Amino acid sequence: MKRIQSHKGVVGTIIVNTEGIPIKSTMDNTTTVQYSGLISQLSDKARSVIRDLDPTNDLTFLRIRSKKHEIMVAPDKEFILIVVQNPID
Amino acid sequence: MMSDRKAELERKKAKLQAIREEKERRRREKEQKDVEEARIRASSTNKDQQKEVDALLSSFGVAPVSEVLSSLSSINSIATPEHSVTATPDTSLQPSSISSAHSVPKKRNRDLIVVSVAHTDIPPKEQVVYAKQTQTAHAVNASNDGYFETDWWRPRKGGSTPNYLSHAFDYYDEYNLNPGLEWEDEFTVLTFDDDQVEDEDSSLTHLDGFQSKLPPGILPQGLPQVKEVQPAITQVEKEKEKEKPKEVVRELSEEEKQMIILSEDFKRFVDRSSRIVERALGEAVDIYTDYTGTMDGDDGMDDKSHQCIWLNRVFYNERWSRNRCVTSMDWSPQFPELLAAAYNSNDDTPNDPDGICLVWNIKFKKSTPEFIFHSQSSVTSTTFARFHPNLILGGTYSGQVVLWDNRVQKRMPIQRTPLSAAAHTHPVYCLKVVGTQNAHNLISISTDGKLCSWSLDMLSQPQEILDLLTKQSKQITVTQLAFPSGDVNNFVIGSEDSTIYSACRHGTRAGVAETYEGHQGPITGVDTHAVPGGIDFSHLFLSSSLDWTIKLWSLKESKPLYSFEHNSDCVYDVAWSPSHPAVFAAVDDSGRLDLWNLNQDTEVPAASVIVNGYPALNRVSWTPSGLHVTVGDDSGKIWVYDVAENLAHPRIDEWNKFLYCQQDFKNNKADEELDKLNLSSGPSSLSSMASMPSVQIR
Repeated sequence: MKRIQSHKGVVGTIIVNTEGIPIKSTMDNTTTVQYSGLISQLSDKARSVIRDLDPTNDLTFLRIRSKKHEIMVAPDKEFILIVVQNPID
Repeated sequence: MMSDRKAELERKKAKLQAIREEKERRRREKEQKDVEEARIRASSTNKDQQKEVDALLSSFGVAPVSEVLSSLSSINSIATPEHSVTATPDTSLQPSSISSAHSVPKKRNRDLIVVSVAHTDIPPKEQVVYAKQTQTAHAVNASNDGYFETDWWRPRKGGSTPNYLSHAFDYYDEYNLNPGLEWEDEFTVLTFDDDQVEDEDSSLTHLDGFQSKLPPGILPQGLPQVKEVQPAITQVEKEKEKEKPKEVVRELSEEEKQMIILSEDFKRFVDRSSRIVERALGEAVDIYTDYTGTMDGDDGMDDKSHQCIWLNRVFYNERWSRNRCVTSMDWSPQFPELLAAAYNSNDDTPNDPDGICLVWNIKFKKSTPEFIFHSQSSVTSTTFARFHPNLILGGTYSGQVVLWDNRVQKRMPIQRTPLSAAAHTHPVYCLKVVGTQNAHNLISISTDGKLCSWSLDMLSQPQEILDLLTKQSKQITVTQLAFPSGDVNNFVIGSEDSTIYSACRHGTRAGVAETYEGHQGPITGVDTHAVPGGIDFSHLFLSSSLDWTIKLWSLKESKPLYSFEHNSDCVYDVAWSPSHPAVFAAVDDSGRLDLWNLNQDTEVPAASVIVNGYPALNRVSWTPSGLHVTVGDDSGKIWVYDVAENLAHPRIDEWNKFLYCQQDFKNNKADEELDKLNLSSGPSSLSSMASMPSVQIR
């Protein structure tokens, strides 16, 4: 986690469980809650999309690029790792 | 007590009764309203409505006939079939059936009268005449006996003829929609009007089936309303969902979090996903590159194009590799992007383990090592276990050979060889895995000249031991080991006594075979030629020495073929390119990395780079592709340099050229010796002055 956080351009790192409850975070409370709630929903949806397209498939990584940030989501069975970074390095 | 209870029960009953009545009242009001609505709608009957009702009817027909009995008791329900039938009044479509329809209602009227005698609620039959509203009306009727009589009567007064028409059509319609279910009912109604009373029971059940489909008090027209309600519900749900996480956040206490964080699953997850994210972060590729825009990078590109070598990146870890000299590097045969690097001890951090072995990844641009391994003693040599992709071997200063496994979440070695006279008791500077998939051995040589070969399955005891002794039966202080390509028996070793030896492991003459003398200082590096190609150069090898020179040898000759004397400091390592037959790299103490292309020039290197900060460069190695050169320095940094294409991908004629080049070396040597002879025949003072430089110039 420290390693990731030390990367230049990384704004914050959050680890969330499947219910969208943040377990570890380097961001402030409100943003953490906001990110974890929304991103976990999004990754659930993304996963269901992937599974619907091909039931043998599964979601492994999700990258969302926006004008301001890039959000990387590494979902697993029990946890989701969310990393927010500024794309301009 | 009992009396109390009774009283209580009584009270409750009364309450219940009151509630029921209240309910009943409400329902009536509601139904009344609905009926009103329905009537209003009916009055403006249009095709759309008809369609809607048709659909509704069809759904009725399919409906199960389960909850019928409840409403059977009252005859009011008789009205319902007719209502439902009349529900689709398509007068225009079925003019021919009017007559039959006419007769039917008339007969019914008769029946009605009869029934009315028994029950006051005959009017429902009259309602039959009505349009769709009847359904709701019927429901009303079922629940409240004749409460709405006036309402029902009014329409009857209004138009009997249109009702008949609609009625007639309805038979057809119903029939079309649910042939199986409805046919009999309709038929009975139609044909046996006189006997309708008898048939009532059977027909009623069906009718009630229809009826039961609609909850009481809800008009068919009311359905869209239900739909409208749904979105509202989902919104509420959404709101709930939003609220949920917030609530739950508070539920997770610090202890719970700690529990999760300490769990094995969590650790594994963090390990796995952090690797992925790190790699993703390292990907600095700008996917928004616009080639139609202005070209800012033009100059940089030009710079590179006429360079032979340029810095790509540096592998360095502040925590683990700082101030540690890189002692050995090896590339994974299975994953050509993985580089294992062994590090010496760091005197500044006595608490950290002496030996470190890091596995770096050249493919992903992340700045941290892929794996970190520790050892109690500083690691002096390392190699991937060639046929086991997960195992990494290290030779240590103490003489142990250690084995790490990257599948285990452990940094310490999972196996190590014993520290006893049966194995090594001196530093192991040479470590190689040789053989084939099915028969391979780990060869290790310590500085006391002891060669051990091991089976990777059993590191508790060496399979073979061989003492490497000079002809004078002196132990050889082995610093370097190299196997000619494709050979598992013969090998070349460099020693501290500035001599290179060739030796073999098996056979009658196991041990040292030949000696190659020419260097004036300890040998620091030996590398055999291993580029496959049309011409076999596997007898060639290079050596570097503290005497500032690099020498090219052939196993067939005891004197060097050529001596490269371009360096002005101790040369620490030398390595042939894995792809180009005539290219090799050498590093020296002054921080210089030289790339030699013997086909191009034998006097000066083809490319030369001074590493930033002039660190002493201890080790050099090529990636298996030949596109990168990695250089390990004495401060714990590994510098990765990109090599120009022309040095990495040789043309086909390079092998022949290299052969001519060797011939030139031989000719030159012969000339040299001739010169020497000539000079020595001249004045002695001159010969002593001239002979030395002449040798060194070459």
